[in-house]
Amino acid sequence: MFKKILIANRGEIAIRIMRACKELGIKTIAVYSDADKNALHVQHADEAIHIGDSSPKESYLNADKLIRAALDSKADAIHPGYGFLSENASFALKVASVKLTFIGPSADSIRAMGDKAESKIAMKKAGVPTVPGFEGLDSEKDLKKAGREIGYPVLVKAAAGGGGKGMRVVNDESELSESIESARREALNAFGDERLLIEKYIPNAHHIEFQVFGDQHGNLVHLFERECSVQRRHQKIIEETPSPLLISPLREEMGSAAVKAAQAVGYYNAGTVEFIVDPDTLTLRQGSGQGFYFLEMNTRLQVEHPVTELVVGLDLVQWQLRVAAGELFPYSQEQLAQHGHAIECRVYAEDPANDFLPSTGKLLQYIEPRGPGIRVDSGFTAGDEVTHFYDPLLAKLIVHAENRAIAIRRMQVALKDFVVHGVVTNIDFLQAVLSHPDFANGEVTTRWVEKTLESGSLLPENRQQAVELQSLIAAALADLAIDNRQSKIDNRSEPDPYSLWRNPSGFRN
Amino acid sequence: MKLHFNDITLDISSNGKTFALTLDDKTIQAEILHAEIGKLDLLIDGQRVTAYVSSDNAKRWVTVNGQTFVLTKSSGARKGGHAHHAAGELTAPMPGQVRAVNVSEGDAVTKGQTLLVLEAMKMEIRVQALQNGLVKKLLVKQGQTVEREQMLIEIVDTLES
Repeated sequence: MFKKILIANRGEIAIRIMRACKELGIKTIAVYSDADKNALHVQHADEAIHIGDSSPKESYLNADKLIRAALDSKADAIHPGYGFLSENASFALKVASVKLTFIGPSADSIRAMGDKAESKIAMKKAGVPTVPGFEGLDSEKDLKKAGREIGYPVLVKAAAGGGGKGMRVVNDESELSESIESARREALNAFGDERLLIEKYIPNAHHIEFQVFGDQHGNLVHLFERECSVQRRHQKIIEETPSPLLISPLREEMGSAAVKAAQAVGYYNAGTVEFIVDPDTLTLRQGSGQGFYFLEMNTRLQVEHPVTELVVGLDLVQWQLRVAAGELFPYSQEQLAQHGHAIECRVYAEDPANDFLPSTGKLLQYIEPRGPGIRVDSGFTAGDEVTHFYDPLLAKLIVHAENRAIAIRRMQVALKDFVVHGVVTNIDFLQAVLSHPDFANGEVTTRWVEKTLESGSLLPENRQQAVELQSLIAAALADLAIDNRQSKIDNRSEPDPYSLWRNPSGFRN
Repeated sequence: MKLHFNDITLDISSNGKTFALTLDDKTIQAEILHAEIGKLDLLIDGQRVTAYVSSDNAKRWVTVNGQTFVLTKSSGARKGGHAHHAAGELTAPMPGQVRAVNVSEGDAVTKGQTLLVLEAMKMEIRVQALQNGLVKKLLVKQGQTVEREQMLIEIVDTLES
């Protein structure tokens, strides 16, 4: 087993990885940028190395600096977390070239899944269902022909793409030429690669992904699904497992397809195979293998891995470390089962009333909920600064309960106990989604948030006037309490319960 | 005494342990049961209420029953509504960094033209001209960090200049 690991990441995921390391008796090294000098992840580590300016390019995305830090501190391995360099094949190669272990799959697996066109071709060859479409077409004439064959609406998307960039929905052949041009331009700008692929557009899809896990000795299993259809601008907001949509034998079919997909690229360590599921086709299908399609594979640990951990009962990060060190993964597919229901809400520092734009500032108060079945993975504490340099994720609130209905209630109550002052959060918005009948019925598709916001039926929980009045009174009495204290400032013998604004963690001034 | 939050005025009198708060001809009885740093346990018209409170200059953050409100305390001189920016004065819709400045003072701009690009937390926002005109004032430069609502650029009608 490793003695010392460098974590090439920040925030909640760096802390999550450090916890697993400590439990396995491994020393940890944090890296940090200027902005993260006092960040929580730095405090959690045994050693911390400054790697540069606040801008990610100068710090968390700088492969050479990270590798230098690992070598200087005599680490055995690097854990990339998610985001940043986690899916960068050349980083994985560089790490290996200096005789360090990259905690993740091989660089070849990362590369094979990194290109949307290449991976789709590989999946077709492996017999994994993919969205009907074509790869490798160049001329507008060929794309037009393909569009007709597939049938509109179609999607043109960048082969090198991700995050919705270089992607266009084309409703009619008359829009095709312009869409190709603008998708190409965006793809070239974002990825330096203008190759496109064209496929059937499925408008009312569920996003359902399967966790896969393998060791370096050929064992590879799936750890069931995660339903991630609650999304906004291609960003996941709420994830859960089991999916309210999946029933046997579809779950088993999709699980085997995920395993097949991973095997096709010689996968080991933790990975996620994403599918889109068309509920309309599902109702028509009779075990025909139709209705779900391979979307892409994420060759890393996912943000939403905790829901799987709770329901399957495994510590995925510990197992990432163990299989990277060469251990066998001991569980067969038959030994694995789902227990109860888990939901994750991503608490973001963003303002739903200001078009979900980021909100920054100092956390004046930060109180996390506690209780049976509640887990919070967070990278912040009271007094921390939320800066504009990095992802607006404040915390992941995860609940586990015996069934979906109880899990939803548990989440609603836990969110109520989450107090964040200093930045605006999406907590009200999360409550609005959780209490919507479409969510309760498991009928949310990937465009649901946008559509429902537009139709006006997804509003922040009606602010009760009574509560608003109580807040006003609380603010007034708190202010009076300070004035009280100030007028009695000489009376030293008197206890001072009213130092409400003078928080010892130095919230202000 | 009087306290002002947002556009609301509260008239407060104390009667030993309890307070009477009056707003819009309505009077509410309240009592502080317990106070600790950042938290008040109150009895408001006989109902127990736990409130989390924080202060940041004039701003008051208050959470009651899972709902968070941001109130602004004022000295009482009621302003004539919000300070409105003139149509050509563009402010930052979010805090962040100025990634690109595409114009200089004196440039003619057309409606919809991208003047500045802001970036925060991996998001990119284009600040576009709302009208045809001239750049009268450019108040930020590339790389600069801006607060939400900070004035970025002023555009005037061609005739005005």
